Amino acid sequence: MTLFSESGGITRRQFFKGSGMLLVSAVITGIFAKIGFDASAASDEYINKRIAAMYTLDEKMTLRKSHLNPEITQIYKEFLSPGEVKPLTEKSERLLHTKYGKEIPALIEELKKPHVPAANAEHAA
Amino acid sequence: MSAILTDGVIKVEGTCKACDHCTSVCPTGAIHGLLGQKHAIEFKKCLNCGQCLVNCPFGRIKEASMMEQVKAAMKDPNKYVVVQEAPAVRVALGEPFGLPVGTNVKGKMHAALRKLGFKQVYDTEFTADLTIMEEGTELINRVFNAVGAVKDEHAGPLPQFTSCCPAWIRYAEINYPKILPYLSSAKSPQQMFGAVAKTYAAQKLGVDPAKMYVVSVMPCTAKKYECERPEFISSGHKDVDAVITTRELADWIKEAGIDFVNLKDEEADKLIGSSTGAATIFGVTGGVMEAALRTAYEILSGQTLPAVEFKSVRGRAPVREASVDIPIKALGGKPLTVNVAIVTGTKYVGTVIEDVLAGRSPYHFIEVMNCPGGCINGGGQPIRHDAY
Repeated sequence: MTLFSESGGITRRQFFKGSGMLLVSAVITGIFAKIGFDASAASDEYINKRIAAMYTLDEKMTLRKSHLNPEITQIYKEFLSPGEVKPLTEKSERLLHTKYGKEIPALIEELKKPHVPAANAEHAA
Repeated sequence: MSAILTDGVIKVEGTCKACDHCTSVCPTGAIHGLLGQKHAIEFKKCLNCGQCLVNCPFGRIKEASMMEQVKAAMKDPNKYVVVQEAPAVRVALGEPFGLPVGTNVKGKMHAALRKLGFKQVYDTEFTADLTIMEEGTELINRVFNAVGAVKDEHAGPLPQFTSCCPAWIRYAEINYPKILPYLSSAKSPQQMFGAVAKTYAAQKLGVDPAKMYVVSVMPCTAKKYECERPEFISSGHKDVDAVITTRELADWIKEAGIDFVNLKDEEADKLIGSSTGAATIFGVTGGVMEAALRTAYEILSGQTLPAVEFKSVRGRAPVREASVDIPIKALGGKPLTVNVAIVTGTKYVGTVIEDVLAGRSPYHFIEVMNCPGGCINGGGQPIRHDAY
């Protein structure tokens, strides 16, 4: 056993000093880890609260399904698909749909052409 | 061309403290600089999502602002300025006024916007409902085409991906052009709003669409880039003129000296301002999926849903999946198992896309939102300094 001998190992004093420093650095690391953990926990918490608020707002709404919104029925019947509720009409495709990536330049050309409304775009008598 | 299109929305300021926290929240590795070096954003990779901005402990990352244009339009007698607000704004706008996190300020938000002078205070939630109608029908067509119930040569492939999140769209365009045919062709609610405001609403109000100026209040910085994209001109004009964030609206309300906390609740204006709970939950991860399922179930089955909520799609895990059995009226009530997946954080979408391109994806419909938790945690939301 050479640990505490004068030659080769370390002195008793050096041993205590060393372990003391290790302990202090462990405590400091722990404090920082705690601060970091708390920060991430706090950040999670506000996200959860905002999410909960959205679901509570949904629960409070009289209507909770999109197709039951009377203004949705109205915009289809009066404008997008006169006389009926029918998504994906020519008018819907033009106003409510888009294209991506390489298809965009052609879409822009198409949209810049003077638009001739289809015959059914007028109000159904 | 707008500077936002060429340079992006988000910039690291010269006073960057070089702490390197932003690189850990960036979904695409667009931020360069090591610990101790000033950081910079490479726009070629940046999605404009602003996650770095809301997470910078020193507030040294900023967004491009359209506030001046908006204020100029408000003062211009030749402009008829209308406003829309995304669902997630109403549960966070109270925070800068000292209200507890998660306070619902929907009514005060509408009241404040009216006080600021907007001619019509509408609501993006209306076009969220409209999105469900269009995107849901598109999904039904794709599913029917795939099972051979109704052949439709125009129907896109399955699975269908959602298309509301502009950061996700940009991610797909940059990194996986092959996945683009799988994306729903439906515009985001923000852009649908601009298109119907300057056609349908302008007509009904008797306002010249050329004079109508559409402002969006968004929890999102990527929406600024979206509104500038040159293809959004289907109304014959720029569909959405300017976007401000939840933070910018809060600053504007303070600057105007409005006593926000004591405002009486007001409703949105009619015509394109009413909405349902399905539209509200667009602001949460899984919300678009749940809203689509509520409507698709009732349309496909011809029956009223036994329970409105689909809790199986809720949660905060970055990738979630669920299966829903829907009795199909057109097939004599035969049930169809619809498999869905929800991704929150484009960091996690890569493997989901690889599976689709390899033909081994079990899903019919996949929702993707860039920000962890959904739009309520978007890059335009109030910054929580107490988190540091």
